[in-house]
Amino acid sequence: MSNLRYVGHAELRSVDGRARVTGEAQYVCDMTLPGMLYAKVLRSPLPHARILTLDLAPALALPGVVAAITHADFVEHGNFGWPVKDDYVLAYQKVRYQGEAIAVVAAETEAAAEAGVEAIRLELAALPVVGDMQAALDENAPRIPPASVKTDGNLGETIILRYGDPEPLLAAAPVVMETSYDLRHQEHAYLETEGALALPEPDGGVTLFANNQSPFINRDIVASVLGLPPQQVRSIQPHIGGTFGGKDDVLYESSAQVAKLALLTGRPVRLIFTRAESMLASYKRQALRVHLRLGSDERGNLQAAQVKMLADSGAYASMTPMAAWRATMHAAGAYRYQAVHVDTQVIYTNNGYSGAFRGFGNTQAAAAVEMAIDELAERLHRDPLEFRLQNCLRQGDRTMTGNLVKHEVGLPACLEWVRDKSGWQQKRARYAAQPADAPRRRGIGVACYFHGCGLGGEGTDFAVSTLKIERDYSITLTSGLTDFGQGSRTVFTLLAAEELGVELARVQMLRPDTRTAIDSGPTVASRASIVGGNAVRVTATKLGQRLRLAAADLCACAPAQIIRAGEQYIGPREEPHSFEEVVDHARALGLQLAAEGRWEIPAVEWDLETGTGKPYFAYVFGAQVAEVEFNSRTGRTKVTGLWAAHDGGTILYPQGAYGQLYGGIAQGVGYALMEGYLFKDGVPQRTDLRSYRVPRAIDLPEIEGTFIETRLNEGPYGAKNLAEPVMVGTAPAIANALFQATGERVRRLPIPPQPRP
Amino acid sequence: MLHEITFTVNGDPYTLAVYSQQTLLKVLREKLGLTGTKIGCENGECGACTVLWDGEPVNSCLVLAVEANGHAIETVEGMSVGGELHPLQKAFIEHNAVQCGFCTPGMLMSAKSLLARNPQPTELEVREALVGNLCRCTGYVRIVDAVLDVAKNQ
Ligand code: FES
Ligand code: FES
Repeated sequence: MSNLRYVGHAELRSVDGRARVTGEAQYVCDMTLPGMLYAKVLRSPLPHARILTLDLAPALALPGVVAAITHADFVEHGNFGWPVKDDYVLAYQKVRYQGEAIAVVAAETEAAAEAGVEAIRLELAALPVVGDMQAALDENAPRIPPASVKTDGNLGETIILRYGDPEPLLAAAPVVMETSYDLRHQEHAYLETEGALALPEPDGGVTLFANNQSPFINRDIVASVLGLPPQQVRSIQPHIGGTFGGKDDVLYESSAQVAKLALLTGRPVRLIFTRAESMLASYKRQALRVHLRLGSDERGNLQAAQVKMLADSGAYASMTPMAAWRATMHAAGAYRYQAVHVDTQVIYTNNGYSGAFRGFGNTQAAAAVEMAIDELAERLHRDPLEFRLQNCLRQGDRTMTGNLVKHEVGLPACLEWVRDKSGWQQKRARYAAQPADAPRRRGIGVACYFHGCGLGGEGTDFAVSTLKIERDYSITLTSGLTDFGQGSRTVFTLLAAEELGVELARVQMLRPDTRTAIDSGPTVASRASIVGGNAVRVTATKLGQRLRLAAADLCACAPAQIIRAGEQYIGPREEPHSFEEVVDHARALGLQLAAEGRWEIPAVEWDLETGTGKPYFAYVFGAQVAEVEFNSRTGRTKVTGLWAAHDGGTILYPQGAYGQLYGGIAQGVGYALMEGYLFKDGVPQRTDLRSYRVPRAIDLPEIEGTFIETRLNEGPYGAKNLAEPVMVGTAPAIANALFQATGERVRRLPIPPQPRP
Repeated sequence: MLHEITFTVNGDPYTLAVYSQQTLLKVLREKLGLTGTKIGCENGECGACTVLWDGEPVNSCLVLAVEANGHAIETVEGMSVGGELHPLQKAFIEHNAVQCGFCTPGMLMSAKSLLARNPQPTELEVREALVGNLCRCTGYVRIVDAVLDVAKNQ
C-alpha cells in the first residue's frame, strides 16, 4: 500500500469541507430565483379515507395564488413506484396514511400558498384504519393498496429463503431458543428537510434542483408522470443535508409536483417541507416483528435456524419489499448453520409508509437475531462473546444462505478487537457480581453482524463515470452516483488522482447532473465506493493509457518503459516530461482526452420462487461492544462506552470512514433507546424533534472504533463498503448490555424506560 | 406592521423595515441573503439556525427581527476574515467534523461562543455547549475533537 499517494491516507480531507464551513454551500432551501413561486401541500388529516370532494376553485380565487394541482394533472393520475407501482404523486380516490399529499398550491408568497391550501374544499369519508400487521391480514380487514396492484388482500409479498431443512435438526437439538422481537419504526431525521425547486425551460422541459438521493430515477419518474421524454427533465443535485436512505420516493413526489406547477405557470416553483411535514409525510424505517427458533448442540455449536418475519410496509410499498428481502438474507446472522428457513411477509397498513433507511432491513434483522443469540448463550451458560467466536463465519464457511465465503473474513478479528479494547472479561465479571438492588447497575454487551455488498439480488448493480482533461489541464470528473454527506465525492476524486498519478487539486468533480453525468442507477446500499469507485478507476485507467502512449511517443520508447515521478513522465533516457507537455502531445497526436468507464458487480442470482441462490458476491463484517448504566429510579439507560470494529476491506478515505462509523453508531444508539416513531391507529404520535428525540452531544459516550482491513479483490484497491452496516451492531449490543445490567430481557426496540417500583 | 430596525450583522450596519412577526432567521436569509444560517425546524428544536447575539448563541428562528434593534448579530458568513478561515472552521475541516454540513454553521456559532466564555473547556463542557445543536451525521465525535483542539492551541 505504501506506494499509493492518496488511497488510505489519513491526511485526506473532504473536497466539500471549505464550502460547508463558510456557509457558501447552497442547499435547495438556500436557492431562490427571480419570479419564483412558493408551493404548499394539502395533506390528509386522516390515516385512511375515501376522497369525496376535492375542489381547488376557492383556493384559486384567492389573491396571490397562481396555480393548484391534483392527481388529475398527471399522466395515469401520477401513478408511480418501483418495484411495486402502487403510489401516486398526489392522492387518487383514497388517502392511505395521515399526511399523504392531496393537492399542491403555488403562490406569490408562502403565506398566500398556505391560505390557498386552507381554502381548498376537501371532503373525506373515513375508512376503518388498519394500524396493526396481524389485523391487516384478517380476511375482513379493509383492503389498503389500489386494485391495480396484485396482492392477497393486504399481504403485499412473501419472501422465502430455503437452505437445507431445519425441522429435523431443531427437533433433535438439545437446546432450542424460541423468541419474538418487536422492532418499531424509525425516522431518518436528516437535519435538512425535503425540498425541490423546478425551473421551466424554453423547450417545454423542466430543470429540477432537489435533495434526492438518486437524480436519474427522479428524472425518469418525473418525466413519466409529466408525459415528457426523459431528456427534457434535467435533475441537478445541490448540496444535501443528509439522507440516510430517506430522500427517494418522497422527493419523487415533491419533484413531480413542483415540475408540474412550473410548467403550468411558466415560473420557477419551490417547495420546502416544514419539520412537522417532514416527520409526518416522509417514509420511515419499517417496523418488523421477528420470530426466531435457534437450535444448538450441548457444546454450543449452532445447528439450524427458522425465522418468521412480518414487515410493516405502511400505505405504500416503496423500498420495503427490497428491505424485507435483505432482512430475509440476513435473518439468522453471521453464523454457520446446517440449515436455515426464513419466511417474510410484507404487509400493507395505514401506519405512514416505510422505505429505505440505513441498514435496509438488516438493522432490524440483526437486532433480532443478535438478541436471540445472546439469549441462547445465556441458556447455555456461555460467555456471549466467546459463543459468537465459536460460531461466527470464517473464510471457507457457508453463510446462512448456504453460500461459500471465499474472500477474507475479518469477523473473528473484529470480535477479538472489541473484546480486548473494551476490557470485556473483567467488566463482564465485575458487573455480574453487582448487588441486584443497586440503584445504578452497569452492564456490557456485544453484537456482531454481516452485510451483503451492493444491491445483491435487488437489481443490476453498475455505475458509469467520465473523465475529461480540460484546456487548463484540470480534470473534470462525473459520476452517476451521488454524495449526500457520506464522502463519495472525496473518494471518487482521490481514486481518479491515484490512478492518473496527478495532484488531487487537478481533479474537479462536478455536482451530479443528469445532463452531464451518466445514469448509474440508485445511490443506495452503500454501494458508491465499490461500484462507483471501480467505475472511476476503469475510466481513469483508459485515460491514463492514452497519456502513457503520448509520453512514450515523446520519449520515443515503449509505453511500458515510461515511469512516473509525481506528475512527471520519465523515459528510459531519464528525460522528464511534465503532465502538461504530455497532455499537449496527446492532443497533437489526436488522442481523445475524455473517457467513459462502466463497472458492474459480479453477477449474483436469487430465485424468488425456490428461495435459493447466491444473494451477494461479498460481505462486510463487524462487531460492537456497548457498556451501559441503568438507573433503576428513573428507569433510564445511559450508554457509557462503545467499541466498534468493522471489516470494510481496504479503507480508501479513513477520515470519511470514521465519520460514517461514528455517525452510524449514533443512529444505532437512537434506535436502541430513544427514537420510536409510534403510531396509534395510524396516527403518528411524534412529529417534532422535541418528542421524537434523536441523540444529542451529551447522549453519546466516547466511541472507540477501528477498521480491520481485509482485502476484497473485486473492490477498488481491495475496498468494501461501510456506510450502512456500521449502525447494524449498535442497538443489539446495547440491548444485550442492558440485559446484563438488569437481568431482564426487553424484546422490543427502542427500549422504553423501565422504572422500578 | 412594518418596523424600522438598526442593527449590525457581522460588523456591517443595516437599517431595515421588518414585519412584527418576522423572525431574525427569515430576515437574515431572505432579506440579507445570508443563507449560511440554516433552517431545520423553525421551532427551537435543532440549532441549525444558531447565530450570535451580542456574542451569545440564540436560535434565530425563535427571536423576532424587531428585537434585534440595536444589537450585534454574527453569522457563519462573518467567521472568516479576508478569505482566511477562523481556527474553528479550519479545525472542523481538519477533523472531518463536517459531513453533510447542514448543522455546521450553527455548530460553529455555538462553539465560538463557548470558547469566548470558556477558553479551556472540558470535553463534557463542549458537549453541554453543543446540546442544542443536533447533528444527524457525525455522532459528534469529530466535532467535539475539533473544538477541543482549537481550545488547546489558542
Ligand atoms: S431552525 Fe431554529 S432551532 Fe431549528
Ligand atoms: S454534518 Fe450532517 S447534520 Fe451534522
